[in-house]
Amino acid sequence: MAPKYYWKGYLKLSLVTCPVAMAPATSESEKVRFHTLNRETGNRVVSQYVDSVTGKPVKDENEAKGYARGENDYVILTDDDLDRVALDTVKTIDIQKFAPAESIEWVYLEKPHYLMPDNAVGNEAFAVIRDAMKADKVVGISKLVIGRREKAVVLEPRDEGIVLWSLRFGDEVRPEEAYFEDIEEEADPDLVPLVQKLIKQKTKRWSPDMVSDPIQESLLALIEEKKKALRPKKSVKGKKDVAAPESNVVNIMDALRKSVADELKHRRAG
Amino acid sequence: MASGQRAQWKGFLKFGEVSCGVALYTAASTSDRITFNTINKATGNRVNRVFVDGETEELVPKEQQTKGFEIENGQYIVIDPEEVASAIPESNKTLEIEAFIPCTDVEDVYFDKPYYLTPDKMGGDAFVALRDGMRKSKVAAIARTVLFRRMRTVLIRPHGKGLIATTLNYDYEVRSSKKAFEEMPKLKIEGEMLDLAKHIIGTKKGDFDPATFDDRYEAALADLVKAKMEGRSLPKPKKVEVSKPNDLLAALRESAGLMKTAESKPKRTAANANSGTGRQRAASGAAGKAASLTAAPQRKAG
Repeated sequence: MAPKYYWKGYLKLSLVTCPVAMAPATSESEKVRFHTLNRETGNRVVSQYVDSVTGKPVKDENEAKGYARGENDYVILTDDDLDRVALDTVKTIDIQKFAPAESIEWVYLEKPHYLMPDNAVGNEAFAVIRDAMKADKVVGISKLVIGRREKAVVLEPRDEGIVLWSLRFGDEVRPEEAYFEDIEEEADPDLVPLVQKLIKQKTKRWSPDMVSDPIQESLLALIEEKKKALRPKKSVKGKKDVAAPESNVVNIMDALRKSVADELKHRRAG
Repeated sequence: MASGQRAQWKGFLKFGEVSCGVALYTAASTSDRITFNTINKATGNRVNRVFVDGETEELVPKEQQTKGFEIENGQYIVIDPEEVASAIPESNKTLEIEAFIPCTDVEDVYFDKPYYLTPDKMGGDAFVALRDGMRKSKVAAIARTVLFRRMRTVLIRPHGKGLIATTLNYDYEVRSSKKAFEEMPKLKIEGEMLDLAKHIIGTKKGDFDPATFDDRYEAALADLVKAKMEGRSLPKPKKVEVSKPNDLLAALRESAGLMKTAESKPKRTAANANSGTGRQRAASGAAGKAASLTAAPQRKAG
């Protein structure tokens, strides 16, 4: 998975500015992807834009973003236009404030990104900002336009780089009081030590195994099997002869059901 | 509990031999952002999206669409994700805690969506004991169950009087920070540069409440649209000057100096008369190049 930078701009602390590149920490690229197919021909189904008045297909180069100014009346905006929105936060992460590390409530953390210098010119300036935050045990607070919204972002030094979190807006986080108001403040003092004893017995180090996806694993295994089964056939008869889909479906369902059942059983036993 | 709210999931939370009835409630939703319509530039009309066969280019009606995954170039196994979902058992409705992990071990880059986890009336005692035990032991809990038709892992941690369960992204969906940053040069900043940067940070320390943050994008976009409608030229993006490695120390000195000036001007001139000239000399290199950036703070300082 090569990192895909989806934003390039500048990181700024007071008079220090360096070019940076940012990539999301999460990616869908390794997920088993389903495609839409035409049941009758077995071909891929693709989406196409057609003009709502003339009904004719629209060429890619004629697709544009329109801001509705009235009914059926749009101002067309190019990506270049959008880059010119009069906010410095389109291109520059200017760190305005520093808050104690861990002081941002987790419930506000929306999406993690990895921030790094975009070229060698910025290496040292980037390292200065990162190391000073590390030394002071603080995170940086700034704002950045991401996906047509200006979001609060938190910058946290990690390893050689910086993790940049976009934060949720205040009105996106539901007030906890409504949910927690009826819960007791204090636990039974006799119970807590018992719970802590259990915690001690069951404490483990974090491992990515804890977030495996048994269903995806089964799907991948099945795809692998089908590939093997298809290969010799293909060389003789060519593409058309796809193995009977009906029987495949049944097998896949059974396999998936079994994989989940096994997972539940195994985990419970262990 | 949580009267008036609709639970996303109801089931049991189990740790050791103890289990209690619990419910999950969405803790965060996504509010709307500005959407654009897709327009045909040639006619100015809106466009509609249709689905066509990739080979024959004929329209494929909804009922004729199915899903499949690709085995090899152009060869597919037909399988509907709906069917996949229905193949997954409802499960035992139990969030079983498999392990506790030290809070310092939590890999937050896996975080997906947060849910408030609350006890039902019967489960209160066990729930509250777990909450306080976890808080005292400084741990979070890892639990797994079938949630929304997928096998999901959640991270559970105390939050106020309740618990928050955050769904975690799968291993293959997250790139570790170690990997992401492995090709970066190993630089360690020490000495004056670090001290100056720490000083700058010191002048900008404070608390931050994300709830009070405002999004200015919509207003800025409205201005831009207005300018375009009136045929005014859009402002050119400001050119950003990057600090050159040779000027970095000077820029830091100047930044630190400017803040000091802004904060306590009289004291500085009296106590640091010597460092003042040093700063000026150092600053002159950066000042010219970073003129556009320094304009605002300079005004403040003067």
